[in-house]
Amino acid sequence: MDMPGGAFEGESHRPAQSYWNESWERLRANRIGVAAGVLLLVFALIALAAPLFSQFVTHFDPTRQHLLDNFRPPGRPYLLGTDELGRDTLTRLIYGGRVTLGVAFLTVALSLSLGSTVGLLAGYYGGWLDDVLMRIVDVFLAIPAIFLFILMSILFRPNAITLAAIIASVGWGGVARLVRGEVLSVKQRDFILAARTIGARDVRVIFRHLLPNVLPVLIVAASLGVGQIILIEAALDFLGLGIQPPTPSWGNMLTNAESYFFHSTWLVVFPGITIFLTVLASNIFGNAVRDAFDPRLK
Amino acid sequence: MLVKFIVRRLFASVVVVLGVTAVTLFLMDRTRGAYVPGIDLNPALRPEDIARLRADLGLDQPFYVWYVNWLWNVMHGDFGRSMIDGSPVMTHILERLPNTLELTLTAVLIGIVLSVPLGVIGALRRGTKTDHSLTIFSVAGFAVPQFWLGLMLILIFSVTFEHNGWPWLPSGGVTSPFGGGDLGDRLLHLIMPATVLSFFYLSLWSRFTRSSMLEVLSQDYIRTARAKGMSERRVVYLHGLRNALIPLVTLIGLELPGLVSGGLVVEVVFSWPGLGRLAFERALQYDYTTVMGVVFFTTLLVVAGNLLADILYAILDPRIRYA
Repeated sequence: MDMPGGAFEGESHRPAQSYWNESWERLRANRIGVAAGVLLLVFALIALAAPLFSQFVTHFDPTRQHLLDNFRPPGRPYLLGTDELGRDTLTRLIYGGRVTLGVAFLTVALSLSLGSTVGLLAGYYGGWLDDVLMRIVDVFLAIPAIFLFILMSILFRPNAITLAAIIASVGWGGVARLVRGEVLSVKQRDFILAARTIGARDVRVIFRHLLPNVLPVLIVAASLGVGQIILIEAALDFLGLGIQPPTPSWGNMLTNAESYFFHSTWLVVFPGITIFLTVLASNIFGNAVRDAFDPRLK
Repeated sequence: MLVKFIVRRLFASVVVVLGVTAVTLFLMDRTRGAYVPGIDLNPALRPEDIARLRADLGLDQPFYVWYVNWLWNVMHGDFGRSMIDGSPVMTHILERLPNTLELTLTAVLIGIVLSVPLGVIGALRRGTKTDHSLTIFSVAGFAVPQFWLGLMLILIFSVTFEHNGWPWLPSGGVTSPFGGGDLGDRLLHLIMPATVLSFFYLSLWSRFTRSSMLEVLSQDYIRTARAKGMSERRVVYLHGLRNALIPLVTLIGLELPGLVSGGLVVEVVFSWPGLGRLAFERALQYDYTTVMGVVFFTTLLVVAGNLLADILYAILDPRIRYA
């Protein structure tokens, strides 16, 4: 992708690098960051291939009950033990990962698209539109998030998609503010004026010239957001406001476990560690992406 | 200048409070017509009884009429009565507020007292093993689900300790149900929830103090202070720390609203009778008046917290001028 501020051909003997190549190189040089990214990718692949795993590795179905085998400690054939209905913990964790990771990525996608649309419009047009949109953002950011979650999840019986919409309804405000701020500064630059002078329409200016310049900020916001969203989602599932049983998610596995963990420790330990590792990896990867891509850090 | 700024911010705050309460009521109104789920299914109630009940609570009106009435009453200091148990909403709030404040203020206090020194140590020993382990600790603290940490603490300090006959910590509540209630008993109940809640603040604020401190220490005025022969201790604490703490004040101000609602998950795990749990339980029961009361109250705190942070900022940092 060619970017404003990138290199012109033949300007120098050393092939100058574009912003994207440079950032990519910086990211690749960060070994811990890359390791975290790989771990996330592995988790995502395992979650995607969940049916294969339950077929060939764990040999159990995520919702199939084995009532005679309830509360089995980790071992064989239940590698990570079973819960109160004799369901295999490992299989449920793998299937839960589908839901949890899916919701997380969908949430990021939703809040980024809504937030950046609002931010671009408010920042570019300014005036009364800016005032109105930003006051709406203020309101959404001031509602104590937890009440919004509660009411929204009563309103829409949560499944993976509505849950993502619910979490995104809180997250988009921050993105909108961020993008608006960025647009306000990019708007002042000469190439925008140049584009307008030669008669580019608003739509073209916004999509061809503003959006690519706001993209780095969006990438950073997205990669930093995933971890927090997984934590929020787990908390909502735990409170009974998120994914409903019998569909397993990492959060609602812990809700069930709360009643039995006095004697079956593994029911709390494994889902918790899975959430912890995933969030940890997302945060480390997110920080690495920020260090590599954020234009303001240079 | 500052006065003008505050007045303008106050005006914006009113808009935010009105918006928040209106959105809340709108969402609640959309969720269910009846204020008690399943009231229509009760065979003992005739339809006209249900209609009368709803009319008494003002639920036969469109939500905007209800809203205006509610707002009018609130402006006259009347938050109404709970739709579930009929006692005044204000009584509920005042009953729960001390518990919530006890928990969250303790957590914030622990957070500040520990995170500032840890952040300063990290910044002064940048790149050493101490710094790295502090970083790892805070990155990890940021990734632990609060409710899980709570469950694990209960598992260790309540279940396992009691099992082994060691002195154990109570796993829930503000006081012991029988004969409790003195200061020692309250503190005992406070230890685990406050630890869990402060853990998050600790990892957030210690990172922040560290980077803020590093930034300040690279400033010209610090070099000047060193150049004129000021002792390192004075440089670090008088010039460095004081300036590094300014952005932290804003961050803590932004957490103030969380004092009321942010502890919900911890309150649920430790059966802590706080304000967050009140709103949570009542929202599930469609208790319009109570939820609106708590939301109004919390939003006021949000707005006040932001305003307070801005004003403190202006006082602490004379470079800031509000136009």
